[in-house]
Amino acid sequence: MSREIHFFIGKGGVGKSTTSALTAVHLAHKGYNTLLCSMDPAHNQRDIFDRHFYEKPKQVNRNLAVKEVDADYWISKYLKETEVQIKKVYSYQSAFNIQNYFNILKYSPGLEEYALLLAFENILDTAKDRDFIIFDMAPTALTMRFFSLPFITLVWLKELLKLRKNIYTKKEIISKIKLGRKEIEQDKVKAKLEELINDNQHLQEYFTARETKINLVVNNDRLSFSEAVRTKQKLTKIGIPINRVVVNKVQNNEITESLRAEFNDYKMTLFPLASGGLLGLETLQLYLDKNQNVLNDLP
Amino acid sequence: MRSRAVGTIEYEVEELDNIFGIMVLGAFIGIPSPPIQITMELFPLMEKELNIMLAKVLTAHDPLGDLFSELDID
Repeated sequence: MSREIHFFIGKGGVGKSTTSALTAVHLAHKGYNTLLCSMDPAHNQRDIFDRHFYEKPKQVNRNLAVKEVDADYWISKYLKETEVQIKKVYSYQSAFNIQNYFNILKYSPGLEEYALLLAFENILDTAKDRDFIIFDMAPTALTMRFFSLPFITLVWLKELLKLRKNIYTKKEIISKIKLGRKEIEQDKVKAKLEELINDNQHLQEYFTARETKINLVVNNDRLSFSEAVRTKQKLTKIGIPINRVVVNKVQNNEITESLRAEFNDYKMTLFPLASGGLLGLETLQLYLDKNQNVLNDLP
Repeated sequence: MRSRAVGTIEYEVEELDNIFGIMVLGAFIGIPSPPIQITMELFPLMEKELNIMLAKVLTAHDPLGDLFSELDID
């Protein structure tokens, strides 16, 4: 089978961490090589499994590994690489002054979701042998910025490339008249723009691929419901389909009429409310044993 | 003679380079910028555009004079 990627998204506190952990434990129990990645800076997985996790995946049982994405690590790694690149390329005099400009960039908003994208790409590259990768995402706001970043970036990149091509053509004309030849030095900026367009298109393809499943987690309450409706609209706008609606903390197998009506066309998974909370691998497994039919539609 | 012939195009290209610089590196002179990673990725390759952009900011009080001298108008 090809590798499946599951994102668990939703409002803060609805149970993204718990339901993603349960799903991961279920799949590992069925014998699938599963990686659970915590992308939420709050990192609840360490509380659920009651142990520390790091960038490097840690096996919690034979088929299940857990990792915590450290956004700060990715930001500083990225800044360091960019800084080295600047020092290498700029002339000595301006490299000296450029430090000031670079320091401004360091505190720009938007770096956090970009760091998450870098981490995401890295996970896809390094976890090739896994059958399932489960992403426990941050609350809606950051997650939506994460999903829409390639989309927005591409709009910019395509405009910039148009302008750059225009500049390049004019430079060719100048070179031809002045020096009698058309070839000019290869435009590194144009090449970089094309490379970035390629990268972002790949990411967008990952988000919309058939092997990528978006699990929207909600509760039986008005607030999480209305946020879920908005999330659905926003994701639809950027062409990312929701695969399944996960209703957590369900009592007596009942969900509200509005929830049923709004998500009528979607697969639905109902997780019954667990008394006393779900902490520890054994407790998760016990819960799954007790509620065996919950994840019926998964392998 | 040849260099005179393309003087206007060269001026135009410099203006376009400046516009490109502002679009990518505008944050440095107070203009809203694109998603930050675009700036980050292109910044190392845009020394020339940065210098043009900064020079243009310095002569910004007299853009017409700049244009007239390029067009040889006294």
